[in-house]
Amino acid sequence: MHISIGEESLKSDYSGFKRIINLHQQIKTINSEDKLIVDMPLWFDANMCAPFGAILSILSNKNVDITLDCQDQVMEILQKNQFLPKFGFDKLSIPDDYDSTIEYFQFDVNDDNNFKKYVETHFGNNVHGFPKMSQELLRIFRGSLYEVFGNSVFHSETNHIFACGQYFYLQNRLDFSIVDLGIGFHGNINEKMNLHLSPKEAIVWAMEENQTTKKGGTVPGGLGLKLIKEFIEKNNGKMQIVTYNGYWEFSKGRTILNTFSSNFPGTIVNIEINTADSSYYFLESETDYENIF
Amino acid sequence: MNNEVKINVVKAVGDSICVTDEDGKKVYDIINDALSDGKNIIISFDDVTDLTSAFLNNAIGQLYGNFDEAFIKSKLSVTDMPKNDMVILKRVVDRAKSFFDDPDHYIRVANAVLGDDSGY
Repeated sequence: MHISIGEESLKSDYSGFKRIINLHQQIKTINSEDKLIVDMPLWFDANMCAPFGAILSILSNKNVDITLDCQDQVMEILQKNQFLPKFGFDKLSIPDDYDSTIEYFQFDVNDDNNFKKYVETHFGNNVHGFPKMSQELLRIFRGSLYEVFGNSVFHSETNHIFACGQYFYLQNRLDFSIVDLGIGFHGNINEKMNLHLSPKEAIVWAMEENQTTKKGGTVPGGLGLKLIKEFIEKNNGKMQIVTYNGYWEFSKGRTILNTFSSNFPGTIVNIEINTADSSYYFLESETDYENIF
Repeated sequence: MNNEVKINVVKAVGDSICVTDEDGKKVYDIINDALSDGKNIIISFDDVTDLTSAFLNNAIGQLYGNFDEAFIKSKLSVTDMPKNDMVILKRVVDRAKSFFDDPDHYIRVANAVLGDDSGY
């Protein structure tokens, strides 16, 4: 089977996610006797390796022979961020002299320590090439990554989580995507709350203040995504969620909802931050610090 | 007899990265025991490098299922916590209070949300 993702640059936007979903639709019925050749676009936002790798992992599990047909510049990105070597393609990793890539990685959901090590290794002002950020921004951003990863571990009911990122130095932007092939927001919410929400409605439900599927339990929840959204708004960043055919985007104070004609088989969360933000407080500052309890 | 105890979060978790449910449970177990003994508790977040609401929900939020608000307020205090983290803690605490007071809140909000849809 020979498939093209399309020549146009593949970016972290609705169109980019749609093309990943279309790819999945075309290849999901391939069986282990088939070979797959994918014509890659002329440019590829490297954080999109997370959903792309998740889709390809489904075929790897079937031992499908996969070839990626890339221009040199895309091949280089996929070697620098370890995507090609990790997937078993016959391509060695190469050093990232511009320090613009963040390693593609597939995590086991039971291995929190590995993700902690990954964040420590790649996100710190002492990391070579890491864009200089205020300590406060870095702390809040790292917290956001842990919140999203933790959500996937707790809610997705799957075995692996895929992650990848990219710095865009000229634009003072950092994008990081965390992906799972789980039951989706609607699968989790409808099952636990006895509701009948579509994927898009489920994202909206989850983003409402104080919503959580942890009802009847002993541990409250439901704050993580809201806190990230609040931080993103103050930072002038962007946050995107894809779950099955539902799409949610928040940027510049505006929420955009949409649907795809087919499903992504899981959930993608992409966080984009403005690395030049030197603010000290990122969350609601009208807090009575003397009366926390 | 000294009725005050200081709990160092990093020591309790065994890590300065305090982010998972399991990390939070380690702290919760210590606080829960101390509260059950009627101790005054100072929770120190000294040297914590990373924090999440998930951790705080487990470490502190779930205390509100075992003890009433007034008792916790009289016994608990925090120290060595950056302002952004204190904002998260305050939100966790307020969320915990409503969680244990009104478990059916989510149903009413879900019904309201289903009628709200905006897009391209």
